[in-house]
Amino acid sequence: MIGWITDPFGEPIVLRGAVELVLLGVLSGGLGCWIVLSGVSSTAESLSHGMLPGLVGAALLGIPLLLGGAVGLVVAAVAIALVQRSPLTPDVATSVVITGLLGAGVLLGLSPSAPAGLGSLLFGDLLGVSDLDLALAAALGVVVTLLLFLLHPTLLLTGFDRLNATALGRSPARLDLVLAVLLALATLVAVQALGTLLVVAMLVGPAATARLVSRRVAPMMLLAVAIAVVASVAGLAASYHANLAAGACVVLALAAAFCMTLAGRGIAHVVLARSAA
Amino acid sequence: MTGARLLVVDDVAAAYPGAAVPAIASLTFEVRAGERIAVLGPNGGGKSTLFRLITGELALGGGRLDLTAVRCAFVPQTERSRLDFPVTALDVALMGAVSRMPWWRRPGRADRELAREALRRVGLAAVEDAVFGSLSGGQRQRVLVARALVQDAPLLLLDEPFSALDVTGAERLELLLRELAAEGRGILMATHDLDQARAADRVLCLNRVQIAFGEPAAALTREVIERTYGGAIVDLAAGAAALLPTHHHGERR
Amino acid sequence: MPGALDLPFFRDGVAEVLLLSVAAGVLGTWVVLRGLAFLSHAVGTATFPGLVLADGLGFSAVLGALGAAVLVAGLMGALAGRRRTGPDSIIALVLAAALAAGIVLASDVFDSGASIDRLLFGSLLLIDAADLRFAAFAALAALAGSLLLGPRWLADGFAGRGLGPAARDVVLVLLIAFVTVASLAAVGALLATVLLVVPAATTRLLTARMRTWQLSTIVLAALEGVGGMWLAFEADVPPGAAIAVIAVGVFILAALLRAAVARRPRGLATAALAVLGALLLAGCGATAQSDGRPLVVATTTQLADIAAAIGEPDVAVHSILRRNSDAHEYEPRPSDVRAVAGAEAVLISGLGFDAWAGEIVKASGTNAPVINAGAAATAGAGADMQDPHWWLDPAAGLRATEAVEAALIRAAPGARAAISARASAYRARLSRLDAAIRECIARVPARERRIVTDHDALGRFTRRYGIDVVGVVMPAAVSRAQASAGDLATLEREIRRAGVRVVFPEAGLSSSVAQRIAVDSDAAVGDALHADALGPEGSRSGTYLGMLAANADALARGMSAGGVSCEVDA
Repeated sequence: MIGWITDPFGEPIVLRGAVELVLLGVLSGGLGCWIVLSGVSSTAESLSHGMLPGLVGAALLGIPLLLGGAVGLVVAAVAIALVQRSPLTPDVATSVVITGLLGAGVLLGLSPSAPAGLGSLLFGDLLGVSDLDLALAAALGVVVTLLLFLLHPTLLLTGFDRLNATALGRSPARLDLVLAVLLALATLVAVQALGTLLVVAMLVGPAATARLVSRRVAPMMLLAVAIAVVASVAGLAASYHANLAAGACVVLALAAAFCMTLAGRGIAHVVLARSAA
Repeated sequence: MTGARLLVVDDVAAAYPGAAVPAIASLTFEVRAGERIAVLGPNGGGKSTLFRLITGELALGGGRLDLTAVRCAFVPQTERSRLDFPVTALDVALMGAVSRMPWWRRPGRADRELAREALRRVGLAAVEDAVFGSLSGGQRQRVLVARALVQDAPLLLLDEPFSALDVTGAERLELLLRELAAEGRGILMATHDLDQARAADRVLCLNRVQIAFGEPAAALTREVIERTYGGAIVDLAAGAAALLPTHHHGERR
Repeated sequence: MPGALDLPFFRDGVAEVLLLSVAAGVLGTWVVLRGLAFLSHAVGTATFPGLVLADGLGFSAVLGALGAAVLVAGLMGALAGRRRTGPDSIIALVLAAALAAGIVLASDVFDSGASIDRLLFGSLLLIDAADLRFAAFAALAALAGSLLLGPRWLADGFAGRGLGPAARDVVLVLLIAFVTVASLAAVGALLATVLLVVPAATTRLLTARMRTWQLSTIVLAALEGVGGMWLAFEADVPPGAAIAVIAVGVFILAALLRAAVARRPRGLATAALAVLGALLLAGCGATAQSDGRPLVVATTTQLADIAAAIGEPDVAVHSILRRNSDAHEYEPRPSDVRAVAGAEAVLISGLGFDAWAGEIVKASGTNAPVINAGAAATAGAGADMQDPHWWLDPAAGLRATEAVEAALIRAAPGARAAISARASAYRARLSRLDAAIRECIARVPARERRIVTDHDALGRFTRRYGIDVVGVVMPAAVSRAQASAGDLATLEREIRRAGVRVVFPEAGLSSSVAQRIAVDSDAAVGDALHADALGPEGSRSGTYLGMLAANADALARGMSAGGVSCEVDA
């Protein structure tokens, strides 16, 4: 049993993937809680598609792709935050902005001087993380954790009582922007290493799971980090033993954690109701 | 009234963006330290708009609103708060302390003690660790009052604070508001209950424009009430009167 | 667009977009009202596992997509009612799990080919009668659902109610799945929201009445769809992207209008200008040229290069895949279909590499002969029909040139002599190159001729020249495919055991895993090999012969650690 867990991480390529998962687990467990609580999971899922025109534009202008991706993400995040001021719900706003950016990306990509395969950058691979990816994930983890710690009371106040946040001296619009920029940064760093699919699963899965069993936000965040780290590393170990696609196994492990918690909660409710009766 | 002026409102008007008609107009009144003022009016009469003006959420459309060097605390209706959010009563009360801090500061032990004290004052010390959404409507309303207490503002705005309360809860809140006024705070409280208005020190009648402002006995004439509610009063036996209000919809939230 | 409407494929595309406008216009208002835009996007994208299953088990792709969409939408609808986690989180999680299941199926169960990627990118240029029937049915279903259940959906939307297990919600979710799959064939999975969400969101900014909203949405969606077709035709771009840009442009105008009316021009107007600026940056493509010479269309860059070398200047050659376009994510442009329609011969690569070519030929309505170069190239090769990269084996390339020569002579009978002469000369060059590569690779000691490649694409080349491919990094040709941790750990051990010196990435594909493996196992990273398409015009690998030479040189230098280089003359 111990060997089943430890064996995979004797392999350098698996160990690296695990380190990246732990770093991004810490980052996305905490940030993911605010994404789930603010109801912007749709933005988290779709934002990465907004990178495409940025990537193509950067390739055409000859500037670093990372920079182009960053510009694309920030444009997308800010546009989504602004469109939300209309009577449209966040998911509709996200949908409109991302559709426009995707269309623009496809048209830009038709330019004869655009290189092929830029789209494949969005399918980053967990087992191909570079030293730069690890360093970026660690640095971003520190920045995001620090900001979430400092902003915690403000986030709590605004999240709980958005309608009256202004009366309590906090601007919800400004906070939306901060959250959107943090999400854009996390997406930028994580998509290159993990790909869009794994990023959204890491951001939303553990937080949604922790929400099922948490009464307060701070413990929810700690629990989400723990779930993100344990479930994703377990998924990687399963990929090693069962010879199945690595990133997909991590996603399925995160989804399984949610399902098991949901089922466990249901059983606990039934048992409690029985013992009370 | 002898207390210091906390809020001076002079010929104020305001409109929502894109709306043709102003939501409220020709408001002229003041709030002094130590007095309880009831804002009486129908739904959509401009009570919430007035509060949003005072808290700074809505820009002034005309006139002068003077809240110099005075903080105000706002107690919203609990129906408007998120019940699915994972916070305890103590967390919510503590938000009052957060509102007094710059964004990078975190509430400390002293603030926590203040929040506990506020919950004790509203009679909720026993449920400080309960999740906000699991409390009853009346309890939630009192948690929001506790949050305003922690804000420690000289001016307190309450939006229909009694609407979700049962009889004992209402009595307890009434007592608390009297205490707070006695401490020298100004209290501005929206209501559409005439009895609540009669119990206040002064009353502001509002139906898109100001109908009357003054002590209840003098201000709450039959004509004022009819104009405030746009309805007719039916005289009942033994001197009691009932109001048949016309219905208003579409209050802006 | 008088000229365009004469073309049958264009007429079918317009008919499809009009039918979808009705379906999406009616349903889109409910999607926006009930806040189900994310669900619509997720359902479209989550069809991936269904497509993989359909491809692997050999049933219809539409059936696979519809099955997956209904299953996923049902799961999302059933779980989304939970207040604690919020509907969006559940949808995101179900979507991620569905895609992950698709990846496992594609990577580890079916060894799927690149054709699955194609199915996620629909095109209004390739509409057939079945697509039209499906869209018409979707439009009728959306209309019937809206007429029968509209009042209830409106009450639910007014009350701000989320999805629940009620029958009316189930019907709504199923309709969304149905219309999304119907628009899959037209605009693809990622842009499925372009008709379903954007027009309804645009009209929502300007009207608050349900009936006006629905009617104006249908009209707007139809106008945007036809406008997008027109723009696609004029600027020669894929219609889906053109509709997306137009629809979002109109949304921006509507937002500006609304902001101006509300005298609150700051927020929305800034957003509007930002997006408009981004859209204006978008460029346009080039149109196919026809100058009286017989036109021959080839699907891939290497096939077009062979045809041009043999046929030009007596025929004009149009290549459908561009040098800079990813064969996996190819979206046809109007010029492609028009070129096929006007072609004297259509050369396809075959063996499943360009399975979409059949759709283009069908949509164009051409009667020109379709020459399957891959089948000709591998005729007599017997068993090896699996690997579609026939052009990497010069012997197969030689056989293909014969088929191309015959096709070109049929297309331009007057130039028979010139074409035959050029073909013979070309074959001679190819044979010389083959011999030179063989000689050069042989200079690398046999025990050093061991490599690892990114995808399993170079098999025909390596077998011919006696190079041992110890392993490949990626398990399947789908762009979403992923390797397993276990396989890669085994591969790294194998690289060390066999003393492999070099790992080769593939041009045009992300090489992060190949590089990682090389670093981990002390191997070098070789120069990128060209497998699917030629390199940029004018570069060393910019022609078919140059591509073979460049691959040989990269392999020789990589395997011998720079000791042997193949300066073979292409």
